[in-house]
Amino acid sequence: MMSEFKRQHPVAAISKVLTTIKQNFVTIVILLFIGTSNTEGYFLYFLFGGIAITLISGVFSWWMFKYRVDGDELQIKKGVLVKSNMYMSKDRIQVIDITEGVLQRMFGLVQLEVKTAGGGTDTATISAISRDEAEAMRTELRNKRNGNSSSEKDGEIADTEADAQVEDEIISTWKLSTKDLVFAAFTSGNFGLIASILGAASGQMDEFINEETIEYVYEVLPGYNDFTLIVGIVLVIFIISWVLSFLGVIFRYSDFRLERTSEELIITSGLLERKHITVPFDRIQAVRFIEGLIRQPFGYGMINVESAGYDQTQKGRSIVLVPFISASNVSAFLNEFLEEYNEPEYSIKPPKRTLFRYMRRPNYILILLVPIIWYFIEYGWLSLLLIPLATYLGWLQYRDAAVGLGERILRMRYRVLSRTTALVKKKRVQNIESSQNPFQRWKNIQNLKAVAASGAGGLGLEINDLDNEDSFKILRWLVSNPDTNTEANSKTETWSSNQNRE
Amino acid sequence: MNPEPATRIHGNAIKAWRVNALLYGILWFAPLIIYTALAFNYNMDSSRSWYFGIDWLVFSPIALLSFICYLLTGVLLPKIRWRRWKYDVSEKEVDMLRGIIIKKRTLVPINRVQHVDTRQGPVYRKFGLSSVTISTAATTHEIPALDDETANDLRSTISTLVQRVKDDV
Repeated sequence: MMSEFKRQHPVAAISKVLTTIKQNFVTIVILLFIGTSNTEGYFLYFLFGGIAITLISGVFSWWMFKYRVDGDELQIKKGVLVKSNMYMSKDRIQVIDITEGVLQRMFGLVQLEVKTAGGGTDTATISAISRDEAEAMRTELRNKRNGNSSSEKDGEIADTEADAQVEDEIISTWKLSTKDLVFAAFTSGNFGLIASILGAASGQMDEFINEETIEYVYEVLPGYNDFTLIVGIVLVIFIISWVLSFLGVIFRYSDFRLERTSEELIITSGLLERKHITVPFDRIQAVRFIEGLIRQPFGYGMINVESAGYDQTQKGRSIVLVPFISASNVSAFLNEFLEEYNEPEYSIKPPKRTLFRYMRRPNYILILLVPIIWYFIEYGWLSLLLIPLATYLGWLQYRDAAVGLGERILRMRYRVLSRTTALVKKKRVQNIESSQNPFQRWKNIQNLKAVAASGAGGLGLEINDLDNEDSFKILRWLVSNPDTNTEANSKTETWSSNQNRE
Repeated sequence: MNPEPATRIHGNAIKAWRVNALLYGILWFAPLIIYTALAFNYNMDSSRSWYFGIDWLVFSPIALLSFICYLLTGVLLPKIRWRRWKYDVSEKEVDMLRGIIIKKRTLVPINRVQHVDTRQGPVYRKFGLSSVTISTAATTHEIPALDDETANDLRSTISTLVQRVKDDV
């Protein structure tokens, strides 16, 4: 038992400085821009002053940060100006995560994060201690809890391979091969990233795109006009973002390993920063197989799980369980790692009369978009080409929408852009909501949304335009008791026979 | 096969909602006030009376529109909204049906309910009304405007039902 207060490894001071810089990154960048445009030398003093203050405060905060495990508590003293003492009782500790950041790895250290339920702010982070010590602390904080036998499985406890406890025996392992990693990276087109880069770039556009540069481009590259220039810029941004997301995937999922014990799934991954994530089975709210636009044609996708805090005060999170897996292997994977999640046959599809609605729907946004683009941008009329694309998307959405009702599992497949197949246990479906606008009432159809817990507001799984009867069937299914066979389980029609299965 | 819920919320809901809508409905006149202020400002320096700055061709349609919206949300909508709001609480589920144009139906199984509250704003208090909020792990649902007694009963009914179901499991 560690009964005297200890300090962290001095690297914690550097780690603290880096976090401060990271948190204020935007401010610093803005200051740099303003500062460098100002030719007088004052700015440098400010800069060095700022850095010095950060460094000193980093050292001080390292000096003041002391921790120990005493009896049933993790005790932390910290604070330079405002002193604070934090006492965390072992019973309340929910998560113990061990992360190896880049900095920590250079010194053979790890970061230990201890979280309790509630607020979300109750996190004790010991940012630099040796791996052995971290593991010793983890075992100790966890051991006491084993004493209260009942609460054992409630905890989400970060794992390491060197754990000796019996229930942590690894039953099966899944690894991401290098070939798959590269494929995953190739196909990881991240549109969100593109948008954010466009946003960031637009701020700087004025700097780069002015008369002079345009003229320069014209001179250097004869045959360029406005149109090709725009296309060129878009292409460049596209390639840059693609390279970034390629590298992102390589860094995040290198040496990816998923292990299964009797209680939990353990994910270890990362090239520079190694992360260990532990997902206890009893916290899994939903499993999703997501086939991205680029991946689907090759028959690949990724598997996510939603994990919520045990007592619901803790924020849920979406965790990548498998970054890249072929659709044909999903069932085998589920059997091996999540055997409770069987895949019920799809028994409900939107009726044929809704096909036209489906094909129309993605076009509504274009009604607004196309005139604007047409008006403001030269060659904007080219955006009309989006119409067949949107219609095709609508058709895909119609084809992919399907619901399967199992005894205990709800299976929903839908498409926004990527195709998602979600599996939710009946007892994890928080509520089901149907909605019907006047046009739908006329056609006897309605939209359906099942909600699973995940973060604030939950994860909504939505399917449009289901027949009233089918929608009611799903509503009934939700409240039917899984142990007694009720009408919800009897399948009257089987649509799935002519559907492509995964 | 699946009957729609039938229990209505309290009739005073219409009055309470009307009062609320008529109070907050003042906002409908914001464009009108802004326009008048602008016109007034524009005409400040001239010697004519202040109302000469107002173009009645602009003023009257805005006024009319504001007034129509005010009456619509204040008088007509609460009534329709009340007529469309139905709910049912059974041993297995809380069933809610609502929506003026888009009909929404929500089903919350009893054993997913995390906690139940009753709430009362100043206007509701005046009319002796309370609303019941039902929270699950993911979402929060509200049954508005029940009289205090029903609301309290409902709250305790749901929480005992929840208790019973949780004990069963």
